[in-house]
Amino acid sequence: MNSSNQKKRNFQIEAFKHKVVVDPKYADKTWKILEHAITEIYNHNASGLSFEELYRNAYNMVLHKFGEKLYSGLVGTMTLHLQEMAKTIEAAQGNLFLEELNRKWNDHNKALQMIRDILMYMDRTFIPSNRKTPVHELGLNLWRDNVIHSSKIQTRLLDTLLELIQKERTGEIINRGLMRNIIKMLMDLGSSVYQEDFEKHFLEVSADFYRAESQDFIECCDCGDYLKKAERRLNEEIERVSLYLDSKSETKITNVVEKEMIASHMLRLVHMDNSGLVNMLIDDKYEDLGRMYNLFRRVPNGLPTIRDVMTSHLRETGKQLVTDAEKLKDPVEFVQCLLNEKDKYDKIINLAFSNDKTFQNALNSSFEYFINLNPRSPEFISLFVDEKLRKGLKGVSEEDVETILDKVMMLFRYLQEKDVFEKYYKQHLAKRLLSGKTVSDDAERSLIVKLKTECGYQFTSKLEGMFTDMKTSQDTMQGFYAAYAAELGDSPTLVVQVLTTGSWPTQPSITCNLPAEMSALCEKFRSYYLGTHTGRRLSWQTNMGTADLKAIFGKGQKHELNVSTYQMCVLMLFNSADRLSYKEIEQATEIPSSDLRRCLQSLACVKGKNVLRKEPMSKDIGEEDAFFVNDKFASKFYKVKIGTVVAQKESEPEKQETRQRVEEDRKPQIEAAIVRIMKSRRVLDHNNIIAEVTKQLQSRFLANPGEIKKRIESLIERDFLERDSSDRRLYRYLA
Amino acid sequence: MLCLATGKAASKELERIDQLFFSYANNSSGLIDPEGIESFCSDLEVDHTDVRILMLAWKMQAEKQGYFTLDEWRRGLRALRADTIVKLKKALPDLEKEVRRPSTFEDFYTYAFRYCLTEEKQKSIDIESICVLLDLVLGSRFGPQVDYLVQYLKTQTDYMVINMDQWKGFYRFCTEISFPDLSNYDPDSAWPWILDNFVDWMRAKQG
Repeated sequence: MNSSNQKKRNFQIEAFKHKVVVDPKYADKTWKILEHAITEIYNHNASGLSFEELYRNAYNMVLHKFGEKLYSGLVGTMTLHLQEMAKTIEAAQGNLFLEELNRKWNDHNKALQMIRDILMYMDRTFIPSNRKTPVHELGLNLWRDNVIHSSKIQTRLLDTLLELIQKERTGEIINRGLMRNIIKMLMDLGSSVYQEDFEKHFLEVSADFYRAESQDFIECCDCGDYLKKAERRLNEEIERVSLYLDSKSETKITNVVEKEMIASHMLRLVHMDNSGLVNMLIDDKYEDLGRMYNLFRRVPNGLPTIRDVMTSHLRETGKQLVTDAEKLKDPVEFVQCLLNEKDKYDKIINLAFSNDKTFQNALNSSFEYFINLNPRSPEFISLFVDEKLRKGLKGVSEEDVETILDKVMMLFRYLQEKDVFEKYYKQHLAKRLLSGKTVSDDAERSLIVKLKTECGYQFTSKLEGMFTDMKTSQDTMQGFYAAYAAELGDSPTLVVQVLTTGSWPTQPSITCNLPAEMSALCEKFRSYYLGTHTGRRLSWQTNMGTADLKAIFGKGQKHELNVSTYQMCVLMLFNSADRLSYKEIEQATEIPSSDLRRCLQSLACVKGKNVLRKEPMSKDIGEEDAFFVNDKFASKFYKVKIGTVVAQKESEPEKQETRQRVEEDRKPQIEAAIVRIMKSRRVLDHNNIIAEVTKQLQSRFLANPGEIKKRIESLIERDFLERDSSDRRLYRYLA
Repeated sequence: MLCLATGKAASKELERIDQLFFSYANNSSGLIDPEGIESFCSDLEVDHTDVRILMLAWKMQAEKQGYFTLDEWRRGLRALRADTIVKLKKALPDLEKEVRRPSTFEDFYTYAFRYCLTEEKQKSIDIESICVLLDLVLGSRFGPQVDYLVQYLKTQTDYMVINMDQWKGFYRFCTEISFPDLSNYDPDSAWPWILDNFVDWMRAKQG
């Protein structure tokens, strides 16, 4: 071999130098040998064959340029054998059909392997350079064309496969191994064969099957059962694919099941009477809900459907809750119901809806919607907090206190009118502080911190001022008693809280006539205080104080009475008179009449607390009524509490007043926001101003566009702003 | 301003204008006061509540309601080229035409408001007077709007006075908004709040 002349052609082996005699009949003879071998192989008689000899024969044929003859001979022979095999398969009866097909397929594969080995040289040289189909692939194609696509087999094969799957779907056991082999055969023949000859029809038939089945189920099952069945079918199909189908079929078949069993009936399921989504939510059916979530998330618009139904149900129940007259009678109960509802849905979203954020958002927006439907929500939430801080949290661990306060904060965040809450909270806190009725100072402060974190320093600075006043007052009292220790030996014990106006809710300052002992003492305090704090003005808030009186009744009963200042003034009068008329009491005490009536009612008309007797015994206080000490007063407790300085739900007129004050307070805030915005923007159009102002005030309250407009016009009138001369919608800031 | 015309004719005219002024003026104050205006109006054969008197005041740019100064008088009559009552009478129709031209009317309209502010720091006019003024200046051209607006103003309780911004709003409302259907009124636009309420009131009336 001359290496320098060696050309670069694959498998090109130089011809021998001496001429080889090529016998024309040589090719025929050689082919006959090979043909015979192939037949033997197909007849399971391969053991008697010599591989090397056959290989050499094939090699020689190709070498001597008889590749074409070899190839076409192969095609012809193999075709014949396959046609024979097809006949055998066709002849198989019933169940044996598939088995026979499988057997013959295995045989063919084994044969093909051997044939390919023998014809390896042709496979590597003649075939590529002549662009023929390689032996293995050729074998598969011939199998496909002569067996699978034979008219007597093609349809029968498909029908058989589908029938078996149908049987399995109806609960029968089938030969899965056999199925797997047959399907694998189709896959080996090429994805188009698998799809055209099997998968396509499989999907169609499955669709029909599930369409019919779902129709049956939906007529007779309730929602929960239906979903169980759908889930089962879905899992079955997934299992089927893993056991004997092409994995690529999984998505396709699951889509079919999802479409027929879920998507087509989605709305009907969700809205099913007595068992649909709403019923599941009401009955906390976590498992069913979880199943629905998992199934519906597979279909387009599935989760939005669940979410929408949940949202409208939640809004509806929420709306009913906040407008239910019965519940509105008890603010604490009202808020507790809200908290319970929130807990319920938090649990559902956690356990059944895998903490899906979009559901959480839907929950939040629903709560925000209906809580604000009731304008008294801010007041009621404050009353709830008040009850907890006054007694509800007694004995509760620090951790649990935090949990409850956090839940309150969560409701607070939903409020649009946070400034209204602030007003009430301040009132209620004042009452708690002044009556000394707070369960835990730590809890109070903890809530203030949470409010500060949520709303900023300004929200809570006044509230903190209230706490400071309480502390300072304690120190002042110590100083007072230290300074006057000697003089005050016999006097009643005085406890004064000095409140800085502005930090505390505004109160009308009405004084009344205090009993002599008290007024002298109060005067001493006043001069002491003003001595150390020049330039201040003190006014006694007689409508907010309390007193503890030691009383001895007609039959010798001794009691300690805890009363309001007004009540004290009234009762002390009876130290020097047995009988007093309403008029006399009014004159002596100078308590405003509506307060006096309430005061006398609480002293004379309430069972168990009637330290006074009234003639006549009616419930109402009349101008001509007469009052006496109730000598027959009895209580099993030594200490009797009659004072009424507890935070309560406001009466209608009080509510109107508070609402008016809130509206008035909002005006300057709106104006400040407008000025702030215009100062930085200089020129801004109407819609943008409204949007920006609303956004700036969002954390306090929802600003009314009409109100904002009015404030703008007021600012125009006062020359802070002007309208643009050409574009009426534009406002300009006037420096 | 005497710079417009020169020569004998011009100065003669000026003399006559001044003479006319002093025939109505109050001797001690040197101004034409309400009394003087009354007799002026009767000579002119125009009622003193007639809108044309207001237009005259506008032409003069008179500052104080019920009074004309010499400068103002001169300004107005020179512009009208009228130095006698007769010429003045003849000039009135043209004056009216001039005022009612859209380009001038808005200026006249805002002038009318300012003219009614009598006190030093006053910025608003009471509802009663506003209603009269509205009728006077807009009644002939926007009859229906003015009728309803006046009715509304008298019944509403949100405002006791009207400011310039709102006043201007009324005019723009009449010229821009289709009436009585109000179909192109956009409440989200920057119309004064009082007009938002007026529109609501109208719509409620129309059912």
